[in-house]
Amino acid sequence: MAVSRTVIISCAGMGNRLGLGTTKALVEIDGKPLIVRHLEMLEEERDIRVVVGYQAERVIEVVRKYRNDILFVFNHDYRTTGTGASVALAAKFANEFILSLDGDLLVHPDDMKRILACDHEFIGGGAPETDEPWMLETYEEGGKEFVSAFSRNSGTYEWNGITQMKSQKMISGTGHVFQLIEPYLPVAFMNLRTKEIDTVNDYERAVRWVKNGFCQNGNDTDIVLRGKFM
Amino acid sequence: MSRYIFLFDLDSTVTRQEILPTISKELGLYEKMSSLTESAMRGEIPFKQSFLQRVDLLKDISVSEVRRMIGEIALNERLADFIRRNQDRCHIVTGNLDVWIEELIKKLGMERNTFSSKAIVREDHISDVFSIVDKNMVISQMVLPFVAVGDGNNDAEMIEAADVGIGYGGVRTIAPAVLACASHAVYDEERLVDFLERLA
Repeated sequence: MAVSRTVIISCAGMGNRLGLGTTKALVEIDGKPLIVRHLEMLEEERDIRVVVGYQAERVIEVVRKYRNDILFVFNHDYRTTGTGASVALAAKFANEFILSLDGDLLVHPDDMKRILACDHEFIGGGAPETDEPWMLETYEEGGKEFVSAFSRNSGTYEWNGITQMKSQKMISGTGHVFQLIEPYLPVAFMNLRTKEIDTVNDYERAVRWVKNGFCQNGNDTDIVLRGKFM
Repeated sequence: MSRYIFLFDLDSTVTRQEILPTISKELGLYEKMSSLTESAMRGEIPFKQSFLQRVDLLKDISVSEVRRMIGEIALNERLADFIRRNQDRCHIVTGNLDVWIEELIKKLGMERNTFSSKAIVREDHISDVFSIVDKNMVISQMVLPFVAVGDGNNDAEMIEAADVGIGYGGVRTIAPAVLACASHAVYDEERLVDFLERLA
């Protein structure tokens, strides 16, 4: 049976560090905006909500060129609130689960299929890559891996902002998304191949990744096989 | 069960066509009407002045003829159906004239639930417009939490004050003033109704 799910894509932030003068979801990777790359992989999803703030009209315009049946949710306080606030606004009046994705993230298409096939709560992460990562501390039980804490200092994986949780758990908060999830840990872990676009270096790495057909150094299968979950 | 009251703008929110520009086409007054409507939608001239000028454009047409033409304006049928099904909690808030929109309002079953501008009619013609709806006044009367749906500049205050304020852009572009204060924007009728069902 299909999962009762609302997909939330957070695109309200400004993306200053990239220095491109555009909100990060609109950054083009190999000729296609990040937000459109998400939407292409979410073809089958019926309830998609895009949270907008900075350059809202531009984001709406780009999204609507690709798909019209989107519910846009405004985070007018995007300057002073975190992505958690955006997710909380969009999680109201939602389906049983919300799947939360950041608009500035590139997800490996095969991993997005695994995400969409998942019918329970999870937290996504992968090999640490960024300069100031939020890490996931995990433990193993019954052959599966679970996230027990978010941490600046320790953990095996970097949190990539992707999570699927019961929507009722996510409807209030103003900080980070992980702060909404923290009270409900442990939650199952899912190992995912993603690229976050925060800096110009990230951007260049992401472009290479897409052009190489989503292969890391020509071969990324080892990263997938390391994941104990799924 | 939700306690929300639903307030809907009529023109190009519940209707699939813009009311006065559409009937003006038939009457050969389209360009003037359209330009006045556009300026009001963008908030460049106050709604009150723009509306009185638009009424003036139609002053030679009988009220029954305008009413008949407006009665034939196409509705967003799924949304109209939502309104009929939730009749007790839905209201139309429109700047248009009571005597002109009567037929259309009947089709929606909103005879008792409409806030509109009002006119005195003599010999089947508008003699005086004596009140123009102030959407701000309407919302100040609300004691229950409410959802507001609209697209034009004169809907912005009602959308801002709403617990859930929705800009609907399925018929025409949502005014910037609405985008600046709405909690949601939606451009597809089915999607709008799907979301309203969750609130009902």
